[in-house]
Amino acid sequence: MTMQRVSSPIFAKHISRILLVIGLLMMLGYFVVYVVYAANLIRFPFDYDQGEGFELVDTIMFSKGQWPYQDTETYPFYSSNYPPLFHVIAAPFVWLFGPAYWYGRLLGFLGTLVSAAAIAYAVYRGGRHRLVAVIAGLAFLASNTVYHIGPLFRQHMTMVMFEILAIVVLAHVNEIADKDKRRKQLILGLALLLAAGFTKQLAYATALAAFAFLFIRNPRRAIISGAIFGAVGVALIVWIVVATDGQWWTQTIAANVNPYNAQQTIGLYRLFWRLHGFLIVPAVLLVLYEFYFDRLSIYSLWFIAAIANGTLSGKWGAGDSYFATAIAATMILSGIFISRTLNRQWHFPENYLSRIFVPPLQRYAPQLATLALLIVPFAYIGYGRAVLHLPTTGPVFEQVADFLDIEPNAQGNFYDSAGRLVGGYADIGHLTTREDIEAGEAIVALMNATDAAVLSEEAAFSLRAGRDVITNPTQLLNLANNDLFEGDALIDMIERQEFGLIVMRAQFYPPAVLEAIGQAYQHDQFIHMNGFDYIIMRPILDEPLP
Amino acid sequence: MFSEDFTLSKRQLGFLLFTAGMLGFVAILSIDLLDSGREGGIGPAQRIGLFITVLTAFAGLTLIPLGDKPA
Repeated sequence: MTMQRVSSPIFAKHISRILLVIGLLMMLGYFVVYVVYAANLIRFPFDYDQGEGFELVDTIMFSKGQWPYQDTETYPFYSSNYPPLFHVIAAPFVWLFGPAYWYGRLLGFLGTLVSAAAIAYAVYRGGRHRLVAVIAGLAFLASNTVYHIGPLFRQHMTMVMFEILAIVVLAHVNEIADKDKRRKQLILGLALLLAAGFTKQLAYATALAAFAFLFIRNPRRAIISGAIFGAVGVALIVWIVVATDGQWWTQTIAANVNPYNAQQTIGLYRLFWRLHGFLIVPAVLLVLYEFYFDRLSIYSLWFIAAIANGTLSGKWGAGDSYFATAIAATMILSGIFISRTLNRQWHFPENYLSRIFVPPLQRYAPQLATLALLIVPFAYIGYGRAVLHLPTTGPVFEQVADFLDIEPNAQGNFYDSAGRLVGGYADIGHLTTREDIEAGEAIVALMNATDAAVLSEEAAFSLRAGRDVITNPTQLLNLANNDLFEGDALIDMIERQEFGLIVMRAQFYPPAVLEAIGQAYQHDQFIHMNGFDYIIMRPILDEPLP
Repeated sequence: MFSEDFTLSKRQLGFLLFTAGMLGFVAILSIDLLDSGREGGIGPAQRIGLFITVLTAFAGLTLIPLGDKPA
């Protein structure tokens, strides 16, 4: 059963086109904001988001041929909880430029551009509408979540890039008639999946979706390729576990079981809906259409898996970034839905559902087609309004903010429609200033003024002062939460006041370490940088304990 | 099923989802039956889990009438 193809009035087509162009202009506006933000961060020499510095430390260690998965009970009490690939990719930059933040942020930023291009390609392949494909790719970058974590020295968006590339490569692998060509494409897709998994563990959900798709299309191929994929993955894991004396397992798997906050998860789902709802609706409609009237695509299964994986966003240390994969899947599905609607490519094969729904609607087909032409482009305009974020100071931005009558709600120079609404949402995205850099240099100067060791909650100050990076606080907390960290040697150093200076921000050390700091060190001053008060602490006694 | 050309039909996928949903439902309920030391009955995470398994089973049921069309 096929809906009657009817032509819509020419004015409706023009209005539809104009609405799409408005959507495109909105997304281009967000792209400009994104580029300005990325350029600003790439120039900033300190931690912008908590934990960036430790990703740089991991990269430095790989550049020296060392594993960052170390025993945290011995000096310098450092370890990492992330798989190695992102840091290995960045390691050559350390050889060329030394320790710096800019290349990690640049890699993250470029990765998001590759992701956007892959989304645009997938949408064009699925719907054959160039303008919508471009808007869909840009819409991914316009998401508040993608915007604020894209240009960070973090591995998350590189994982998402590998996930998107894997899904796009595998999407039509079963239709390739040439056996040799099909095998090569399958290997490429699975290699990209492995790359995603060895960039960050969270990619497991994408791997499950990909194999579910392969199983539905051809169980034999799925089982054989799954067995090979699993064997390669396990072999790599065993190799790293053996090479690190078991530390990799302890640090990345055993220590990754964290306290769970269901309220945070619920809040982040609501936020995901509030920001992306205009595009989630068409995405869900396409999933339902494929479910009942067409073949299930890999995109639909990926969308379901990624949305379900959002339940992990309530873990301690998790947040809105856990929805980045779901956002990518949403952009692809909604883009294809909008393209097909504008191109009027819907067909409803006869079944019990089409017999119920199609005949009553068929007589209104011309009106429905015209209505769809006018309504569907509003999805991007509505989305553009929902994700509103921009700097509120500086040339052009200040005028735009005045015109839109918005006040900064994040760090004094930035408006974020999602800012400070729910727990777990990263309240970043603002631009750094010269004062922030001067404040960071002031902390470095304090470090340089002492000959003793320094303990800093962020690695940047230690790296810039040429000091040892001692501890990775959040990883110590991960380990402590799982009874995998005793910390006697570190606590002994603190009690003996062997650190001339302690710099803290979020105080993410394990409770026992914080308690020791509180007893042996006193507050000296706050230094405000990048919207946060850095706490400078000095030993309580003049002389170290004997 | 293990031939080069075999592909799952809507009906087979429907049965698969229905079975998975029902097994999941029973498994989630069993957490309380087997773990006698737990207090507080069915928690929010379990309720979400039960809802998802019922939804999965229902989706499976609605696919079964679609017959041999490829899934």
